Amino acid sequence: MELLQNLAIGFGVAMTPVNLGFALAGALVGTLIGVLPGIGPIATIAMLLPLTFHLEPVSGLIMLAGIFYGAQYGGSTTAILVNLPGETSSVVTCIDGHQMARQGRAGAALAVAALGSFFAGTVATLIIATLAPPLAMVGQSFGAPEYFSLLVLGLIAAVVLAHGSVIKAIGMIILGLLLGLIGTDGNTGGSRFTFGMTRLADGLDFVPMVIGLFGLGEIMVNLTQPGHTRSVVAKKVTGLWLTMQEFRQAWPAVLRGTGLGSVLGVLPGGGATLSSFAAYVFEKKVAKDPSRFGRGAIEGVAGPESANNAGAQTSFIPMLTLGIPGNAVMALMIGALTIHGIQPGPQIMTERPQLFWGMVASMWIGNLMLVIINLPLIGIWVQLLKIPYRVLYLSILLFCGIGVYTVNNSTFDVMMAALFGVLGYIFIKLECEPAPLILGFVLGPLMEDNLRRAMRISSGDPMIFMERPISLGLLIAAAMLLIIVALPAIRSKRAEVFQES
Amino acid sequence: MKRLILMLLSVFCLALGGLEAGAQDKYPSKPVKIIVPYAPGGATDIAARILAEQMRQILGQSFVVENKPGAFGIIAIEEMARSKPDGYTLMIGNVSTNAITPVIVPKKFSINYDKDVVPVSRLVDIPAFLLVTTTNFAPKTAQELIDHTKKNPGKVRYGHVGVGSYPHYDMAFFAKRAGDLDMIAIPNKAGASGVINDMVTGDTQASFLNVASTAAMVKAGKLKPLALVNYARLPDYPDVPTMKEIGFADVGTLAWQGLFAPGGTPKEVLETLHKAAVQGLQAPAAQEAFKKQNFNIVPNKSVDEAKTWLAGEIAAWKKITSQVKIEVAE
Repeated sequence: MELLQNLAIGFGVAMTPVNLGFALAGALVGTLIGVLPGIGPIATIAMLLPLTFHLEPVSGLIMLAGIFYGAQYGGSTTAILVNLPGETSSVVTCIDGHQMARQGRAGAALAVAALGSFFAGTVATLIIATLAPPLAMVGQSFGAPEYFSLLVLGLIAAVVLAHGSVIKAIGMIILGLLLGLIGTDGNTGGSRFTFGMTRLADGLDFVPMVIGLFGLGEIMVNLTQPGHTRSVVAKKVTGLWLTMQEFRQAWPAVLRGTGLGSVLGVLPGGGATLSSFAAYVFEKKVAKDPSRFGRGAIEGVAGPESANNAGAQTSFIPMLTLGIPGNAVMALMIGALTIHGIQPGPQIMTERPQLFWGMVASMWIGNLMLVIINLPLIGIWVQLLKIPYRVLYLSILLFCGIGVYTVNNSTFDVMMAALFGVLGYIFIKLECEPAPLILGFVLGPLMEDNLRRAMRISSGDPMIFMERPISLGLLIAAAMLLIIVALPAIRSKRAEVFQES
Repeated sequence: MKRLILMLLSVFCLALGGLEAGAQDKYPSKPVKIIVPYAPGGATDIAARILAEQMRQILGQSFVVENKPGAFGIIAIEEMARSKPDGYTLMIGNVSTNAITPVIVPKKFSINYDKDVVPVSRLVDIPAFLLVTTTNFAPKTAQELIDHTKKNPGKVRYGHVGVGSYPHYDMAFFAKRAGDLDMIAIPNKAGASGVINDMVTGDTQASFLNVASTAAMVKAGKLKPLALVNYARLPDYPDVPTMKEIGFADVGTLAWQGLFAPGGTPKEVLETLHKAAVQGLQAPAAQEAFKKQNFNIVPNKSVDEAKTWLAGEIAAWKKITSQVKIEVAE
């Protein structure tokens, strides 16, 4: 009953006209910047931060949160329509979502993304309301060894992510790991592979890389194919809504994605990023016919989209209860709170119930608003695909350029995006998937960091990974995965799966 | 799509506040850019945004904060130093970017830091705690921490935000002063929140971290402050003694933030900026925002005093880095 009472407090705060207005404003701005490729929520929230100085803390937070998940929704839209992931989380949406769009099923892909996200958002809100304190404890038991083992499991699972040859997938992961090495060595302060350039001292940036590899590469390929220059979509757009069969395929994936995302989002430090990758791998594993993946499988959109939204919501748990930001947007929100003298921490729920529960309630309201905003827009977005490609690609290029520049206000990053665009073109020509590369790039540095930290903690004794129960469990899971993959009976089936495309 | 582009353009125009204000004689006659060497959301960024808003009100031109993170502040410092010294490109840096970086990695600069950067004024400084975790760790005072570490050499680990960062030097200096304690340094790239997380999980036991970012965990009993790096005790923490009280007067960094301009900026412009910055810091809105985070407002009295102060800071860091050997690969 305490839960109902708490939710009543929350809805009381969130349903005031002022706060509803801020939630709507946030959701609208978020959708807009999410749809514009590259212009991320970080730059937007930073620009709007001074505005929140004059607001009630809860109103400011509601608006910023609205921008955050609005951008998640919008980001999937561009991923599906023009193969441009706006966020880390929508990288995998590109794989099957864009294929669906090419087959004329953009409407269905967008609808399942919106509905899956809403469902995931609703569940995740309930999870936050009921389980925030115990989940925060889980986060607190995740030290360096546990993290390292989780990442080992993630990377091994990721080999399955590729839908081409395994050798190429492993090659791409390793290339990603190598690119992730660029920058300053955390333990010695020395520079690695920077060629004396100060711009590389903090490593390569994620945004120019994905924009280049996915967006610019794709544009170049499209332009070299005369048939595609008229529009992105080869086939006629058939229906804006899900068919019964698609619905039946999608809903179990939504459930699985929501579950995975909710759990991984709680881990402080990038858990939410993992969730969409993990959901995609998982969907492919449980599918009766994995060969459909990479060619427009609706589960490949439904699972990761639900997972990333659930993960985005539950990543508020470490932020609000421990003051630990899971990503840059969370760091900005902590910044917005400290201006008002509020330090997020274990005490926040009891000391500021209005703020905490108001936030939780507004998350659900924001998600509802987003579905209402997005569903009617699907028709308009799909119309966008009818714009002649010679016009469309120029505007995509322009927005990519603006988007890449605004991340660090750096022209160097724009050059990097161009460079990765060329690389992306080459990869497509060689039929190498960029998604495993991104995964290696994101997880590699995290893995190195946690490995070295764990080894320093244990004074060089690798047994630390075995002595900690959570870490041991994760390593056993990873080993089992390897064994399953290595078993001859399954190997033949797997070869089939990998070789088909 | 067209409407979308228009909307975007108008948002951008609003954000930039119309760059095309005509050039007039009196400074400032057009918007001023303040470069911040960190990504949005951190202490320096927020201080810059609070001050930018006040300076806009005082000088009647917008002060636009632009984040240029990376390379320990070198990217931001060099961009400012290379821009025209006319007072329209400034920077707000802190002790790390504008005193420690030039001292420990001078070779990474392609400018002459001492000549190409002038301070306008110190702005605020930030009290810090010497903290320990309460997760599987018994010591509750600085003396107990020292005794415990002496009895368990190489077993106590401390967190810091990067090799050569001031929390790293602070603890290394503390260990040296307390009788060459054998402690292990564990860096965390995720900044203060990462170091806090390591302490809460029990991966590390001690660290120097600023009061504002640890307040919630201290209140929750997850972290225990042993001493305070500040001029005097804080009203919110009457029981926490200062470093001076526990006999370590010169240990610990009161991390400051300051306003900087390119070398060669005209004296009148520097004076105008100094006056506006000092006035901005005294404005009620700024006072309140800084007080809530326990920042001390500590402007220099004049532009000349700011120069003496920065020279003193650089000299002090040269001394510390020669006494505490931390190897930072060039």
